[in-house]
Amino acid sequence: MEDQKVNKACSGMPDTVFECVIHYIHDSRDRDAVSLVCRRWHDIDAMTRKHITIAFCYTTTPGQLLKRFRDLESLKLKGKPRAAMFNLIPEDWGGYVTPWVEEIARSFRCLNAIHFRRMIVRDSDLELLAQSRGNALQVLKLDKCSGFSTDGLLHIGRSCRGLRTLFLEESTIMEKDGEWLHELALNNTVLETLSFYMTDLNDVRFQDLELIARNCRSLVSMKISDIEILDLAVFFSAATALEEFGGGFFNDQPERYSAVSFPQRLCQLGLAYMGNNEMPIVFPFASRLKKLDLLYALLDTEDHCLLIQRCPNLEVLETRNVIGDRGLEILARYCKRLRRLRIERGADEQGMEDEEGVVSQRGLIAVAQGCLELEYWAVHVSDITNAALECIGTHMKNLSDFRLVLLDQVERINDLPLDNGVLALLRGCCHKLRRFALYLRPGALSDVGLRYIGQYSPNVRWMLLGNVGESDEGLLEFSRGCPSLQKLEMRGCCFSEQALAKAVLQLTSLRYMWLQGYRATETGRDLLVMARPFWNIELIPARKVAVPDQLGEAVVVSDNPAHIIAYYSLAGQRTDFPDTVVPLIL
Amino acid sequence: MSRSTVELDFFRMEKENSSKSHTQKLFDRRRSFRDIQGVISKLNPDLLKTVIASGSSNQTPTGNGNFLPSKASTPKDLPVYTPIFAPISGSESTPPLTIFYNGNVVVFDVPRHKAENILKLAEKGLPKTVESADLKLAASSNDQPQLLQTLNGDLPIFRRKSLQRFLVKRKERLTLVSPYSCADYVQT
Repeated sequence: MEDQKVNKACSGMPDTVFECVIHYIHDSRDRDAVSLVCRRWHDIDAMTRKHITIAFCYTTTPGQLLKRFRDLESLKLKGKPRAAMFNLIPEDWGGYVTPWVEEIARSFRCLNAIHFRRMIVRDSDLELLAQSRGNALQVLKLDKCSGFSTDGLLHIGRSCRGLRTLFLEESTIMEKDGEWLHELALNNTVLETLSFYMTDLNDVRFQDLELIARNCRSLVSMKISDIEILDLAVFFSAATALEEFGGGFFNDQPERYSAVSFPQRLCQLGLAYMGNNEMPIVFPFASRLKKLDLLYALLDTEDHCLLIQRCPNLEVLETRNVIGDRGLEILARYCKRLRRLRIERGADEQGMEDEEGVVSQRGLIAVAQGCLELEYWAVHVSDITNAALECIGTHMKNLSDFRLVLLDQVERINDLPLDNGVLALLRGCCHKLRRFALYLRPGALSDVGLRYIGQYSPNVRWMLLGNVGESDEGLLEFSRGCPSLQKLEMRGCCFSEQALAKAVLQLTSLRYMWLQGYRATETGRDLLVMARPFWNIELIPARKVAVPDQLGEAVVVSDNPAHIIAYYSLAGQRTDFPDTVVPLIL
Repeated sequence: MSRSTVELDFFRMEKENSSKSHTQKLFDRRRSFRDIQGVISKLNPDLLKTVIASGSSNQTPTGNGNFLPSKASTPKDLPVYTPIFAPISGSESTPPLTIFYNGNVVVFDVPRHKAENILKLAEKGLPKTVESADLKLAASSNDQPQLLQTLNGDLPIFRRKSLQRFLVKRKERLTLVSPYSCADYVQT
């Protein structure tokens, strides 16, 4: 009797009440949980969800997305595996946006923000998008995409006058001319963010940038390709609202750059090819800087020290390992508000980077003890100890994303294996850690260490593991843990196909796996152990690839060992794969 | 990631550098590599081939010994071939085939008999099609499992595309002689 009364009360609650409440629920995982309660809540969620991220484009179809979220306003789609950013995936592997753009043009009337990441985009796709969305399109991000030219961008520049964000970073774009930027400059007055950073678009006129600065009073972020900084003096004086700037180069005499005055609100900066002589132009406003990108600068260790000590408000730093242990000690002393730190791998060639420019346990310990608010930390180290990892676990209680790569320059690392250090790190950070990468060398992490990773990463959703473990046993122990692991990437493993397949079955949350370098058999039969409904398995068999060598001088034919990509999908087997990809069809 | 390598110490660099620190040695070896390149490119190619071919077919350490090629004539100042073997870490991987030619260094990780094939083709004077021919051989041959075995432990860490391009561009800029950097030298 009482149950019936309760049920009536529930069914009597008007939808509008819940619709008001649901607008306060933003996190996609919370929304996911809400949508599973009952059909009405599922439908209300579907009608009110503003943004969807499809982490891997082959898990579903445009039609399925439309059926559930017809009034979607913002979509993010990711295509190629992350390994594509490291030149490991064939260019024509897949991730075509065409079927998605066609559906967007046909049916998604409310969609105004689109973000494609690591996908193949054609000029015809951009033309269709421009024609169908037109002035309604507010955000377009072609992030590490390829397959299109400046002609495609011309359509966007002409037809999308409502565009607030155009983001093209690291995309491979065929350059015909600079007309696309000119059109954008002529037609747009609401642009807030423009980025063609790290593209090879050099045929751009700085006069068009000046026009954009004058017309778009809300311009807040501009990141460009290789344009001489002196040519941007007028741009900088016009862009009064600018907070972020990246790119450019310095080809003139250092003294001339002191005449360039930067916008008053500029607090995020990344000047490419900035050397020791040009660095002082940053000093007048260095204390205002919240974000500093030195990845493409020409600074040595001492320069880093001189610059960083002037930036007490720094929250984000990206640089190469030329910063060295000494630079990291300075960072730890002066930049107490640091939240994100990325230390990439510089040149290996002798003479191209500072000899002091290596990061070891000394730098790790300094940062661990000094930058307690760090949430994201990616670092390439040349040497490491267990003590350094323990120190990270002890002090860094806010770490949610940690990535360590042990470089192979130093032949002998004394304090191996790193089992105990990794254990201490994970136990210390276990509550907040969501993303974890550990790329080592054979012998650096034993099966015991691999088991520790499984046992002590309760909330980790993404992992990249390189050269870890000793035997299949280690992998199987690992896969008994990791209860939240959704996406796993592994490289250089000693595991057999059978063990890999068994591990996949044991990882309860796993929905995507990428793997390169394992004990492959001729036919890949043992992988069938992981065959199950909705689970797609694709191979990229071992092949030889011609890649430019480190110096860009010679083309080296190198071996590219077999990849396995396996993922859950509601879309069935994909049909757009190239010759280099072999789906395991069951 | 150590593997057995056959190093040709033409100029007895090992003995000279034994007093330096480990890292210093590492850097010196790389620098002297380039010096060696220039000289080797002027050596008799027949001699070079013979030395490399016998080096790759000879797995067991023979200790320091003088090796004089039997076929070619030997002038007095001919470099001495002293095989130096790094400790083998238990795997059966064959040493890489390193070719110095015309100022370039290229390293191939191929099985022994393929290395010999490449050298034979080079002797016949075939152009760049060697690489594509070898590609086809690799794809269809029976010893693919063996190829796969040798690859597994030996994956170099790849760099991000964006950084790779920057490092190449930076090198290009440095090799271009800019008038302003010359001016610096003149002033100091």
